[in-house]
Amino acid sequence: MKGKVELMAPAGNFESLMAAIQGGADSVYFGIEQLNMRARATMNFTLEDLPEIARICKENGIKSYITLNTIIYDHDITLMRNIVEEAARSGIDAVIAADHAVMQIAKKNKVAVHISTQANVTNSETVEFYSSFADVMVLSRELSLQQMKNICNTIEKENITGPSGNLVKIEVFAHGALCMAVSGKCYLSLHTTNASANRGACVQNCRRKYKVVDIEDGHELELDNEYIMSPKDLCTLPFIDRLIETGISILKLEGRGRAPEYVKTVTTCYREAIDSYYNGTLNQEKTADWMARMDEVYNRGFWGGYYLGQELGEWTDASGSKATTKKIYIGKGNNYFSKSGIAEFLIEAYGVSKGDRVMVISNKSGVTETVITSMHVNEEGEKDTAVKGDYCAFPLDVPVRTSDKLYKIVESENAAPAVNTINPNAIASW
Amino acid sequence: MVTVIHQRKKCIGCNYCAEIAPDRWRMSKKDGKSTLIGAIEKKEFWIARIPSHELSENLEAAKACPVNIIKVN
Ligand code: SF4
Repeated sequence: MKGKVELMAPAGNFESLMAAIQGGADSVYFGIEQLNMRARATMNFTLEDLPEIARICKENGIKSYITLNTIIYDHDITLMRNIVEEAARSGIDAVIAADHAVMQIAKKNKVAVHISTQANVTNSETVEFYSSFADVMVLSRELSLQQMKNICNTIEKENITGPSGNLVKIEVFAHGALCMAVSGKCYLSLHTTNASANRGACVQNCRRKYKVVDIEDGHELELDNEYIMSPKDLCTLPFIDRLIETGISILKLEGRGRAPEYVKTVTTCYREAIDSYYNGTLNQEKTADWMARMDEVYNRGFWGGYYLGQELGEWTDASGSKATTKKIYIGKGNNYFSKSGIAEFLIEAYGVSKGDRVMVISNKSGVTETVITSMHVNEEGEKDTAVKGDYCAFPLDVPVRTSDKLYKIVESENAAPAVNTINPNAIASW
Repeated sequence: MVTVIHQRKKCIGCNYCAEIAPDRWRMSKKDGKSTLIGAIEKKEFWIARIPSHELSENLEAAKACPVNIIKVN
């Protein structure tokens, strides 16, 4: 019997890293500098953050992986080598690579390699090819469950081992945004704005509305959905048992560009789902509850991706999120009274009232949610409402720092959740 | 004279500017970002004065930069 699958969560910054830990991730992946698929992210970690990330992960008993999965030019080699060497020194557990140069340099530096989904591993022959470099390989996101299963079976049958001498482990994406093209093979962004998706600079042309015009007679086609290229988000929760039973070892959550509360919610739901699977308590009520919780954070509606072999055509009908809630910035941390467990905030926008659902985001304690049951305002004692300029204090389990931010959680305009089209019993095309 | 400004920190090292205006831009082997030749730094903005015969290719480089961090004026 295989061990429990590993749950890998995204960490775009320290807040999300803490949120992933809170959510119960077994490992996290992150990018630094410009050589990762989120090169545009203003919040990318830098080389100097590596030891701190490794330290936090070790302290919390989770593994840390660094993404170095863009295409690499000659002028990138030194930076790439520096990153690999620093990763080795800091005790980062592996480098996620798509370019052979990265694999080679990581191997020389004795840093474990994971083959990125950007390398499009779609068959067992390729698994064998990469096995001289890597112990873990992320499969292409465009395979079906049956194809994943066949690859996992072949690894066992043919005893395909990685550099460690152990059987190669297969990792798949369990949740998050999908590309409209085979990952890493889309050139829309490059053609329209010179911004190569394969250098992490995708401008997401697929997420916009389009018209279709007949060039010959100028007639515009009528479309019932103008987002003709924007796929819904992948969600495997409703069939997570079948996904685990394919023999994969690692479930990865997409979302290095997402907010910390997204990371915490999605990681928590998948953590609970995986644990329920192993203790035999997975059921429909639980799944419905997880889906409702995930509806609250950023999403474009969910579908089962290509895994169930369904027909294509699961396009979203919105430009952005269909989340049922959104967060509004209220103010920042001011003080924490640890004896009484009271946190004080300075209100800088809008206001808060008793009964409000609020969220604190911190680079030390991640994401904490609570409902305000009692509140002190300035020196005026117990009050029901605090407004801009007020100092307001209420009970909170975690210490608050001045760098922490307070948000109010409110229903968004999309209060009715998106229609999710995942039919776990879909007849697959295989 | 024309001024070219480069927000170097945000460069993703795509190589376009160095391809289009090779006399003014070079890819750094050190950190993989492009370097504006002859520029001096002012609070993370790299500024160079260029002769007017270099104007057109630098305008083109500015237009090509996928993260819009080159300004020519
Ligand atoms: S075009 Fe822009 S992003 Fe690309 S190398 Fe030049 S400055 Fe950097």
